[in-house]
Amino acid sequence: MDDYALDPHGQMLLEEYRESLPDMERLGEIVTAKLEEAIAQNGIVLNTIERRIKSEKSMAGKLKRKGAKYSTIDDVTDVLGIRIITFFNEDVDRIASIAESLFRIDWDNSVDKRKTHQFDSFGYNSLHYICQMPPELMHDEKRPRLNEIRFELQMRTALQHVWSAIQHDIGYKTDIETPMEYHRALSRLAGLLELADNEFSRIRHDLADYRRRAQLLIEGGQLSEVTLNADTLKSYLEQRPFDKLNRRIAAINQAELYAAPTADYLTVMRNMGLNTLADVDTMLRDNAEDAYQLALLQLGSTDIDILADTIALQNLCIVTILKNGGGRAGLKRMFDTIYGPAQHNEETAQMILKQAERLSFMSNNP
Amino acid sequence: MNTTIREEGNLYIATLDGRLDTAAAEQTAKELQPLNDCKDHDIVIDCSALEYISSSGLRILLNIRKHAAATKSKVTILNPNSDIMKVFQMTGFLNLFDIKND
Repeated sequence: MDDYALDPHGQMLLEEYRESLPDMERLGEIVTAKLEEAIAQNGIVLNTIERRIKSEKSMAGKLKRKGAKYSTIDDVTDVLGIRIITFFNEDVDRIASIAESLFRIDWDNSVDKRKTHQFDSFGYNSLHYICQMPPELMHDEKRPRLNEIRFELQMRTALQHVWSAIQHDIGYKTDIETPMEYHRALSRLAGLLELADNEFSRIRHDLADYRRRAQLLIEGGQLSEVTLNADTLKSYLEQRPFDKLNRRIAAINQAELYAAPTADYLTVMRNMGLNTLADVDTMLRDNAEDAYQLALLQLGSTDIDILADTIALQNLCIVTILKNGGGRAGLKRMFDTIYGPAQHNEETAQMILKQAERLSFMSNNP
Repeated sequence: MNTTIREEGNLYIATLDGRLDTAAAEQTAKELQPLNDCKDHDIVIDCSALEYISSSGLRILLNIRKHAAATKSKVTILNPNSDIMKVFQMTGFLNLFDIKND
């Protein structure tokens, strides 16, 4: 085995390293699984979680440079490293909090690089915890070392990671020999990415705030103040506004209602000129009876006993288009929007138009 | 009611021939069972020779779609006749499937 020209103390540490590898592997698996589980439970979406065990070559290099400061391999705290990359700044802190609840943290050796910069300097931003797995989290009597080994947990955002990876890739070192212009260029980029991280967080926060406000307006019935878009339609649908009409249509044949996606109808409704949730509500109020009559016409003479739970919305849109004089072209446009442009949409539109001729309101819309 | 399944590249092509009514549904469901395991395959249900579909038939197609969605496979209904299109439309299920005509 290669001794990497280490002194006897270094060789002893390297041998301890080799012996510890199976435990490191096992600990890495357990810790990663525990973290993934807790992060998912907290509803945090990660960019990635990765782990690595320091390679023997890298370990030997470290021992060669500063082996004298380590008494045992346990003093090297980054043999096992786990890195969690988040999308947002605040998720770094939330994950840190999760790590604090799961693991024993060696605060003396942990460092928050985000707080090590001067107010006018920018650079490596990452939160590093040195951790141990406490027995209450997991204990294996055959492998007590699993509760003794320290490992490093790095937490940072995707942008911080990009900066760090590129800096590492181009071989940048913060030694005095590096010309000032490169220090300045990398520092400038770090500042830019810090700004971008803050902006992403601000946008997420503002969006959440917008959704909360829209939700309150919807719950308060102030629908005319809520613009129709994907977010607000989702909140509106949570109030189940079409349930009554769906159930009435289903009752024609005692049909089962099957969950189907409604997203396609957003564009249909916007094409119909509906701009607020009040417009959607008005469509429902003014056209529910005709939408039901259309369903009765179509389903009454059949024994079909399964329907999509978008049937009310579909029929409301059809009836509204016809009432507004949209005719076959309007119906085709609706089907083109939902199903994508196709020849059969023209045929479907023609078929519905023919069926709808028997509806009372059509006598005013030839 | 005749049902066949063949594999072409990354496609499973099921051909339905006849009337998929309540009486034929149980047997057809059994014959289409292999489509529920469609990993790495999209599904084409060739309805060129399908004359009629009942609610039981719709349930079979919805079940195939449900399993396909779990593996991110796409389900295409090929050449449905106008009566079958009518059933898809009036039940609101048209947008659950990709409909294609040759």
